[in-house]
Amino acid sequence: MARTSRQHEITQLLAEWREGNQSALDELYPLVYDELHRLARRYMSRERKGHTLQTTALINEAYVRLVDQKNVQWANRSHFFAISAQIMRRILIDHARRQAYAKRGGGAQQVSLEEAATVTPDVSAELLRLDEALKSLAAMDPRRGQVVELRYFGGLSNEEIAGVLQVSENTVTRDWNMARAWLYQQLTGSGAN
Amino acid sequence: MTPERWQQISRIFESAILLDNEARAAYVANECGRDESLRVEVEKLIESHGQASAEKFMDGVAAEAAASLLIIDEDEQRPPVLTKGQQFGSYVILDALGAGGMGEVYLARDTRLDRTVALKVLSSDISQDKRRMQRFRQEAKVASSLNQPNILTVFEFGEVDQLTFIATELVDGETLRHYLHGKKLKLGEILDISIQVLAALDAAHEARIVHRDIKPENVMIRRRDHVVKVLDFGLAKVTEKRASTMKAEESEAATEVKTAPGLVMGTINYMSPEQAKASGVDERTDIWSTGVMMYEMVAGKIPFSGPTTSHTIVQILEKEPAPLGNAPAELQRIVTKAMSKDPDERYQTAKDMLIDLRSLKKRLDVQAEIDRTSSPEINVPADDANLGSQKKRILVLALIAIAVVTATIFGINMWRSRTRTNIPAASQPPAPVPERTLTYWITVQKFRNGRPYQKPFTQPGEMIFEQDYQIRVHLRSPEPGYLYILNEGPASTEPQYVVLFPSSTANNGSPFLAAGQRVQIPEQSWFEFDRQQGVEKLWLVFSEDAVAELEAVKQFASKRTVGLVTDPEQNKAIQNFLSTATPMPAAEKSETLTTLKATGKLLVYPIRLEHH
Repeated sequence: MARTSRQHEITQLLAEWREGNQSALDELYPLVYDELHRLARRYMSRERKGHTLQTTALINEAYVRLVDQKNVQWANRSHFFAISAQIMRRILIDHARRQAYAKRGGGAQQVSLEEAATVTPDVSAELLRLDEALKSLAAMDPRRGQVVELRYFGGLSNEEIAGVLQVSENTVTRDWNMARAWLYQQLTGSGAN
Repeated sequence: MTPERWQQISRIFESAILLDNEARAAYVANECGRDESLRVEVEKLIESHGQASAEKFMDGVAAEAAASLLIIDEDEQRPPVLTKGQQFGSYVILDALGAGGMGEVYLARDTRLDRTVALKVLSSDISQDKRRMQRFRQEAKVASSLNQPNILTVFEFGEVDQLTFIATELVDGETLRHYLHGKKLKLGEILDISIQVLAALDAAHEARIVHRDIKPENVMIRRRDHVVKVLDFGLAKVTEKRASTMKAEESEAATEVKTAPGLVMGTINYMSPEQAKASGVDERTDIWSTGVMMYEMVAGKIPFSGPTTSHTIVQILEKEPAPLGNAPAELQRIVTKAMSKDPDERYQTAKDMLIDLRSLKKRLDVQAEIDRTSSPEINVPADDANLGSQKKRILVLALIAIAVVTATIFGINMWRSRTRTNIPAASQPPAPVPERTLTYWITVQKFRNGRPYQKPFTQPGEMIFEQDYQIRVHLRSPEPGYLYILNEGPASTEPQYVVLFPSSTANNGSPFLAAGQRVQIPEQSWFEFDRQQGVEKLWLVFSEDAVAELEAVKQFASKRTVGLVTDPEQNKAIQNFLSTATPMPAAEKSETLTTLKATGKLLVYPIRLEHH
């Protein structure tokens, strides 16, 4: 079955990436992107009104579907989550860009109405600003950048993040506090240098 | 910032946030030594940390916050039912705006009335779905029966080519849910929003309609002027009698709609105890939900929330919410009363709650004014600008006081007649006169102990106030046109305007005057101005066409904002418009009135008001 061979392929790529092969990541990326994107949309159409998109559940499902469970190691799982966090970020940013572009390009008035009211341009604008700020943070402090990505985009708990990054849970908590305060400052403009 | 600096800041920050306030300040001061900029950076970050925690900034997960992005994208993949430029009944489709759960929303032009509307077209598969059709129909029916500025106006509900549609007013804004996200609402804002929601409910309740699903998702805040619109009367029910409870079977049916398997229509966090118990629901359910929403705006979190639906319901039925620590005692009292478990202990009507909120708002404004002005009176004011802005505030307060009373007494009916009599653009009589004429006179009434004293007298032109003078302004023109009157306080660094006309009480709220029509503002009372020395202005703007730059001020002319323009951007825009207007019109003064003449389509004139 096609699926079995794909599972195998992804498991293989994950292992290679873990061993330091960066080109494995390049191959892995689009495969996981497609799967996560498909799942995310399916989840959303199922729960249109509920608006609860359980990121972890979603990534878990992608993981189960994509990775060959027989040859699985825990490290694989945490790596999969790490890359999925990155990809979720990409998916959302891609959507936000497209929406922001459509708003500008379409020349449409930014109008909300009833259900459409929940779709406001600010969601995309805010997300794009956050993404930019997060890039600056990661440039200054890569680990804190990763903590934010894993937690906010990947939906990982502090404990899971500690496992992925091989640091203590306390460190994750501290990193998060600092990173969040800084991002807040950037986004609200309260700490312009 | 260098990585070293960053590490230095983060080291101090991380230790500091573990300490209590006092120890923290000492610790930061000690760690930073003479490095003032380091201390500032650390302190700013600590403050951001506090705010970020309080606002639950990034508390959830991105995909949840941005879930709507994924939805809209999916909808984009489906070709829209209607295309740009297509004729649909009497509407022309201008653009697709997006899709909601019920169908597609378009920007459309109503060719009969020549106005732009939001057109919601129910997708054909949903048209087959009787239950959803029912909801759609009901929403339209209920909403269109209410005519109130804080309720989304429904223009038409109908069917074209077997497609069901609803045409409503356009609202450019965001939901309160989204507005709350990552933002800390100021007390004044919380009161403004709640007061408008209650005004909408008051009108609905008066029409014996209970909304039953008041929550931040159903409260929309218009971007340009922060006017609130209550949405989604789809779950609303018409009650049997005013203040009577719905029959058991009705309420059961209602609960069924809400909780049909596989379809959770909304959050249960705002549900009242009686809704949770599926017992009788009446107007007081909306009071409860408004209370919960206010609680959320004040506390930054919802009062009842459990890991599962049943946990939440138990909390709603049994748990007293945590006290609202920092909020004024009166606000806490109002919210607590609205959230009494027993409906009999709540506010019995939206109007009662509205009155309490309005008087609280007034009191807080006055208090803020006292706080602001008490010290500068002892210290010599630094400059004129400072003095000016204080005076301005007193004037504004006086106007608010009048308007609040006026709105309370006359308000509701006035707002209604105002919306009804909006004059469509097509019916303006053509008047291609190259000259504008406007005649005005001022009636002055002396007051003593708050009561009119002696007969009022009339005077033209400029106005010199003496103590306890209150005024009315009268205007008339041989030509039809649009009139706007704005009060500009004594010069201050930040311009601030109060809209005196159009008003909610004169001319049915319309800025349009027919040829020869005389208006008197205020219609029912008098304008009271402050008593400190200074010069302020009454700007008269009279134009052949509606003035685009002043369109937005109409919103302030209504009940809630009582004329005061609060947005600094808006104030600047008004100032820009007034300062760039055409040359000063010629003024001919007689014994009792002044006639202004300007060439062109626009007349702009400031009347000086002096206080001694």
